[in-house]
Amino acid sequence: MIQHLLDGVLTGSYLSLGAIGLTLVMHILRFANFSHAELLSLGAYVALVCDALVSGLAPFLAVKLAPLSLTGSLIIAILISMVLTGLSALLIDRLVFKRVREKGQELSMVFASFGMALIIRNVIGLIFGLSPALYSRDIAFAVILSRDPLILVKPDQIFVLIAALALMFILHLILSRTTFGYSLRAVAENPSLAQVNGVNLQRTIMAVWLIGGGLAAVAGVFYGISHQLIPVMGRDLVLPIFAATIVGGIGSVYGAVLGGFIVGIAANISLVILPSGYTPSVPFLLILVVLMIRPHGLFGEARA
Amino acid sequence: MSIVKTMGATAALAFGMSVLAGAAQAQDCTTKIGAVLPTSVDWGRPIAETAQFAVDQVNAAGGAAGCEIEMVLRDTQVDPKVGVDAAKALVDLEGVNVLLGAVSSGVSMPILTSVTVPSGVLQMSCCSSSTAFTGLATEGKTGGLWYRTFATTGVQSAVGAKVAADQGYKSVAVLYKNDDWGQDMARLIAADFAAVGVEVTASVAINDGQPSYRAEVTEAVTSQPDAIYLALYPAEGTAAVREWLSLGGTQNMILANSLKSDEFRDNVGLQYLGSALGTDTASPRSESADAFRAAYQERFASEPNGPGLANSYDAAMIVLLAMEAAGKDASGADVAAAIARVTDPDGTPVSADTAGFTAAKEVLASGGNVMFQGATGNVRFDANGDVSAPAVIWSFSDAGTEEVEFMSLNDVDAFMASLK
Repeated sequence: MIQHLLDGVLTGSYLSLGAIGLTLVMHILRFANFSHAELLSLGAYVALVCDALVSGLAPFLAVKLAPLSLTGSLIIAILISMVLTGLSALLIDRLVFKRVREKGQELSMVFASFGMALIIRNVIGLIFGLSPALYSRDIAFAVILSRDPLILVKPDQIFVLIAALALMFILHLILSRTTFGYSLRAVAENPSLAQVNGVNLQRTIMAVWLIGGGLAAVAGVFYGISHQLIPVMGRDLVLPIFAATIVGGIGSVYGAVLGGFIVGIAANISLVILPSGYTPSVPFLLILVVLMIRPHGLFGEARA
Repeated sequence: MSIVKTMGATAALAFGMSVLAGAAQAQDCTTKIGAVLPTSVDWGRPIAETAQFAVDQVNAAGGAAGCEIEMVLRDTQVDPKVGVDAAKALVDLEGVNVLLGAVSSGVSMPILTSVTVPSGVLQMSCCSSSTAFTGLATEGKTGGLWYRTFATTGVQSAVGAKVAADQGYKSVAVLYKNDDWGQDMARLIAADFAAVGVEVTASVAINDGQPSYRAEVTEAVTSQPDAIYLALYPAEGTAAVREWLSLGGTQNMILANSLKSDEFRDNVGLQYLGSALGTDTASPRSESADAFRAAYQERFASEPNGPGLANSYDAAMIVLLAMEAAGKDASGADVAAAIARVTDPDGTPVSADTAGFTAAKEVLASGGNVMFQGATGNVRFDANGDVSAPAVIWSFSDAGTEEVEFMSLNDVDAFMASLK
């Protein structure tokens, strides 16, 4: 039970990062972006390429930072991938979503995002092949914390959790302490009123995509470190991330963080109660239960 | 309509005559047999062509039961509805009393229950492996009309249990793919492990496309087994096994044939797979199997490497031999009953070609029995219409996989009998 709880928290850390980006986009641009999880795949694969490049250029960085399976080159690759994925998100918005937003309705946006998800997923599959890829072929062995009850933790996952929490804290500071954070929240609240007060709408939307894409890239890499990279990982992750966003309440960054952890823990603990064949249904059940009790999610608010 | 039909028949006859120009005797009648196979998928067409190859060889020997054989082929599109319609058309419109097919168990099953058994038609499948048919036959619901030349998943699981017993594993955890095949495997392996005295500590379903298998694997790891049995496909198999190893799970693994893949070996890492042993069914190491390979190569100019080709050939050949044994105007049940006469272990051995069929004709005409030595070896059906197959135990190596042990058909049969 403790093991499942712990695993849930560790799984929750990358779900939360993914959900933060999604909740911002859904709140500010007001559409359900089904292609968001594909940004995780994109970020993970961009980091895979960058990791190979960096370790090729500077072999001394390819040494593992024991006890982690992480290398210096992968950390640099993550940073590059954050920027590139953020820019890709921006580019996708320019090429597709912006045009649809100006002409179409909310539903057209949802369909456009479905289409985008398929395109990104299949392009990744075409380039990298459909079989799984790994940052490091070596297996990072778990450390035994306690023998009775048996509790195992992988050092990588502790790193993932700490890094995720640190990123969330930085984002919290930006949102609550800077003018930019206020303008972001203003646009989310009421775009027209925010513009009247001198907030640059276009620039804010760009920032949202950059932040969302950057966090998605980190989440994707963390997922890749914990498990494996596979072109369909976006498809596998879209539901848990949506569940985290909806459970937390659309628009609430803190809700998304909490939602990610709730979904992660629920998926792990459900195995104690349910046969393993039924675990895929858990995120759905969670959405249903939360929406029945709090229609706007845990931290969400109704808006006009 | 009748004119068209007559013209068609005449044309077919004329064509048959021209093909048979060099045959021992020309036939003045035609018997139709049906085939429902997935010809619209790339691996399905060679299966149908191989069956037709057997029919051609028999026609070159003067046909079966005094008539030339015409195989009427219909596509199933791997769809149960399409397959049932096709089978129904063959039985009702073409009047066949022998049906070859289908490939997928999911297609063969509804054809069996709703078409062939109610109409008293013999159904011989080349490729369906589900143990559901065995269950149906045990309940007596196939009426002795169901046969297949493809070994059931039971062979895999029995060999898996043998590996565990040979390695001295006392307890095993099972991770299985959550689909028909995986559930079937998990059920069978649990019974076989019990039969050899190996305890199953946990049996955990692995669903496709889950972001993480951590919880499932934790469940299996905490049961602390001596070894793990994996009935998974490579993609989720890689994820689950890496998770398993990183959590300190044992490297003693028993793998189903689905994990016999380079992708799985490379992504898990050969250094962790030293104690992994896999199971698979194998082609027999017999002269008749080699002869089929040579004949196939001569006819199609390629190796018979696709799935189910040898099985399809034997399915067609055995049906035709049984038709010969049953004689003219035999019903489906008569032909089914005659199968025992052509796969008799004590009968006169006959080879799988035109000459073999000619020889079989003489033996059968004089009231003797024959033993068909086919592309899958000396085919022998049990009471449920199932066949067994030789098996291999393999391990991963630098080059791919290598054979650890070959179990002949007799070894497999003896071992499976010892489990009962």
